Amino acid sequence: MIICITSQEESIDAQADPRFGRCAYFVFYNTETEETEFVRNPNTEDAGGVGVKAGQFVIDKGAEVVISHKFGPNAENVLNTAGIEMKTHDGGTVRELIEAYRNNSL
Amino acid sequence: MKQVGIISGKGGTGKTVLTASLATLAENAVFADCDVDASDLHLLLQPKVTTAEDFAGGEEAVIDPVLCTGCRECLDVCRFDALSMNEESVAIVDSYACEGCRTCSLVCPENAVSMQRKTAGQWFRSESSYGPMLHARLIPGEDNSGKLVTKVKNEAKSLAVEKNKDWILVDGPPGIGCPVLSALAELDYVIVITEPTPSGYHDLNRVAEVIKQFRIRAGVVINKHDLNPETASEIEALAGKLGFDMAGKIPFSRNVGEAIRQGVPYIKYAEDEVSRAILSVWETIQDFLFEERVGADTPANNINTKEQER
Repeated sequence: MIICITSQEESIDAQADPRFGRCAYFVFYNTETEETEFVRNPNTEDAGGVGVKAGQFVIDKGAEVVISHKFGPNAENVLNTAGIEMKTHDGGTVRELIEAYRNNSL
Repeated sequence: MKQVGIISGKGGTGKTVLTASLATLAENAVFADCDVDASDLHLLLQPKVTTAEDFAGGEEAVIDPVLCTGCRECLDVCRFDALSMNEESVAIVDSYACEGCRTCSLVCPENAVSMQRKTAGQWFRSESSYGPMLHARLIPGEDNSGKLVTKVKNEAKSLAVEKNKDWILVDGPPGIGCPVLSALAELDYVIVITEPTPSGYHDLNRVAEVIKQFRIRAGVVINKHDLNPETASEIEALAGKLGFDMAGKIPFSRNVGEAIRQGVPYIKYAEDEVSRAILSVWETIQDFLFEERVGADTPANNINTKEQER
């Protein structure tokens, strides 16, 4: 299964990005292979609609769970419709959040 | 570092008047004017601009007149009536009407449409007597956007981190749209200032949904509460029902208009009921930010106690 975490930088030890739609990077973590893929958010330069676009982006990447600090109303709507599970957190590094998810403590 | 935002739902309820006064009270703070459609915090804080940079906004369609065959397909699909034909039967774009949705670029059989970013305005780093300030100015006809709000806020944040500031005060945009969502992201506390009118009540209720979505602690301030005590108490009841703090009630005074005309934050202009009410808002929200709510004491009672002590 693929889980997605928003990150401020391209490193597993970077702080998670509190934003979803305008985050710097999406991190896709495969729970079976334990591989991570960092993808720069392609929509940060857009004037609006980034919540919806970010939602579509992570859905297209096959994520089943998305982990971020907060989700805006439009992003939540998209992710809900696609049946994606949303998990929130109050800060930490990407590595810590992956661990927290694996330990069911999110 | 704490980020406090001031928003309103309804426009014209006193966001900037309150923000400018809070700016004089917040020690070691950075200010961000995110109401870029009608930025006016600079009128009261009168900062000196130290850096100005161009800001690229959304995209607009640009049509290559050599490739365009005048088939009109783009005209048929444009929902903003931004396209028309010139005398030579070449499609032209009305830059003000174009929303940058790219539909014309998808249907054009000749690939004559390209999307280009337009300069939407400038953003500034400034110094005021009360601290550094980030703000922006749009070119007439350009819109505020989540992107621009994020730009102003991110610049404020990096400045606050660099200079070890304790507060970021965000003067937010009205409404519940994209710029408001961007203004709310990452806030530690949001003050919603409203007025005792039916639309003040309605728009508070509407913006509350967005605030709850972001799980931000919120406090309601009723400006000019004494002009309509009945609606003011309805708003107070609504705040309670929403689970929001009651952060203060500011009485009406004609002096407020005069202070604005002179370009002075109200608290620096007069010492009266209005300035005391604003001071109480600042103290109250700090209590809410740094202390847990105490037992059965409602926030509204706390405010009364404070006023009696004074």
